[in-house]
Amino acid sequence: MTHEELEDAVPLYAVGALERVERQALEAHLLSGCVSCHTALKEYQSVAAVLPFGLNTTPPPRALKAKIMAARTPDALTVEPAAQHSPKPSLEPGEWMNHLFPPESSSRAVSFRWALGVATIAVLAIGSYLAWNSYVRMTEDTTTLAQLHAQADTTASKLTALQQQLNEREKTLAQLRDEIQLRTSDVTELKDQLIQREAELEDAKIQLAQRGGTQRARTPQDQLAVLLRTPDVKAVSLAGTDMAKRAAGVLLYDARTQKVWLYSVNLPECPNGTTYQLWAIHDKPVSVGMFHMDSGETAHLLVKQLPNFTSAKKFAVSLEPPGGRPQPTGPLYLVSQS
Amino acid sequence: MDAPSQQAASTIDPKLLARVVKGDQQAFSQLYDQSSTLLYSMALRILGNREEAAELLQEVYLEVWRKVARYDVGRGTPIAWLITLTRSRAIDRLRARGSRAHHQVSESLDGPSATQVADRNPGPLEAHADQELRGLVGGALAGLPQAQQQAIELAYYEGLSHMEIAARLNQPLGTVKTRIKLGMSKLREHLRHCWEQGDRP
Repeated sequence: MTHEELEDAVPLYAVGALERVERQALEAHLLSGCVSCHTALKEYQSVAAVLPFGLNTTPPPRALKAKIMAARTPDALTVEPAAQHSPKPSLEPGEWMNHLFPPESSSRAVSFRWALGVATIAVLAIGSYLAWNSYVRMTEDTTTLAQLHAQADTTASKLTALQQQLNEREKTLAQLRDEIQLRTSDVTELKDQLIQREAELEDAKIQLAQRGGTQRARTPQDQLAVLLRTPDVKAVSLAGTDMAKRAAGVLLYDARTQKVWLYSVNLPECPNGTTYQLWAIHDKPVSVGMFHMDSGETAHLLVKQLPNFTSAKKFAVSLEPPGGRPQPTGPLYLVSQS
Repeated sequence: MDAPSQQAASTIDPKLLARVVKGDQQAFSQLYDQSSTLLYSMALRILGNREEAAELLQEVYLEVWRKVARYDVGRGTPIAWLITLTRSRAIDRLRARGSRAHHQVSESLDGPSATQVADRNPGPLEAHADQELRGLVGGALAGLPQAQQQAIELAYYEGLSHMEIAARLNQPLGTVKTRIKLGMSKLREHLRHCWEQGDRP
């Protein structure tokens, strides 16, 4: 029940219109010390307690008073002599209670006449048992409510503890996430480093190839041997033109590395710093790379990156002035067959 | 002590109960004189039967005689305590009686209603203070819409819960709750306004 619902239940409580469960819920709420509901209840109870003044009055039967006075007397007689004959004028407002709950101290117990006292207590005990029955029941209800309330409190504190645990878990999770992120960035960095190293290695290889002829010729040829065993390598053969009838070449494309390998044989030596240039002809020729044929060299291997190999219609090798040209200008030496 | 205050139910002095606690016969007799007409009228309204109302009243006064020490002035006026006790015992009796005498309750419903202020016939001995309060409460009740007054009376005088009232009147539960809430709220406003100018009964 929300507080608003509880507040709404107060006037119904005052006229006794609530169901048992609702009544208990409201009583538990009042026990929890809600001041506004308590104030409202007091006012509504005051209203309820004057409602009978709105009734038409009917006087009770005349005989009733005498009957009540008489019915009351057997109880009263046993008490009143004690009160009247008591040596001490000590019957305070609470004294009547003492008959129901004999005081633990014996200060005045001895002075009372015991036989009368015992009889009185016995009679009163029976009488008051009935009268108190409802009071006790109410007390029990209140106790039950208090217990329920305590249970609710315990549950609430357990909930709080669980929530705390949950918060801690969440914190741990966040920490772990941060760590993972850190690791991930480490890995990325390492990958970058690896790529850089690979590039450096490539550079070193190229430098090595440029420096030592025999060495360079061998290692790429070994690589070529590996490449030839790779299943999905595409091959295009090139034939020598009239410029070099004995020359021939084969172009291999490795899709995994997107590299082309041009293995050419019997091309003439490049005169005066001129250079051979390999072209991939799409709609128009695009330069793939350049290579030299020195004197006495009969075979050459050129390895270049070429991502769009498959879209090229033709391949050719021309002899170009030093440094190469963006478009082929010199005579063609090798041309692809297909 | 002047006669009117001796007779008024609304002005029972807590000291009178303190005297009853001591076993003062005269105080008990006076308590009866001041309160019995009001309590009997209420018992009659609840039980709808004179004999039973008289039986109940006897029960209540004997309980008062035995339990008067339990009265706590901090929790309300003496008459409020007596009214609450009488209502509670009467409703208990009504419930114990069950449906056997249901027609008697209906009979009482058809009887004179609290709203018939003009018809009220205060006894010649009725105290001035009570007359004022009767006028006040009667007027406040008469100022309520009939439906709200009926819902409050079914709860208060017949001990019905809002669910039982809804079933009895064949009305939605929310409607019944609202009627009681609004009615009680209006009564509270009305009475608070008057109480602020005088003593709370």
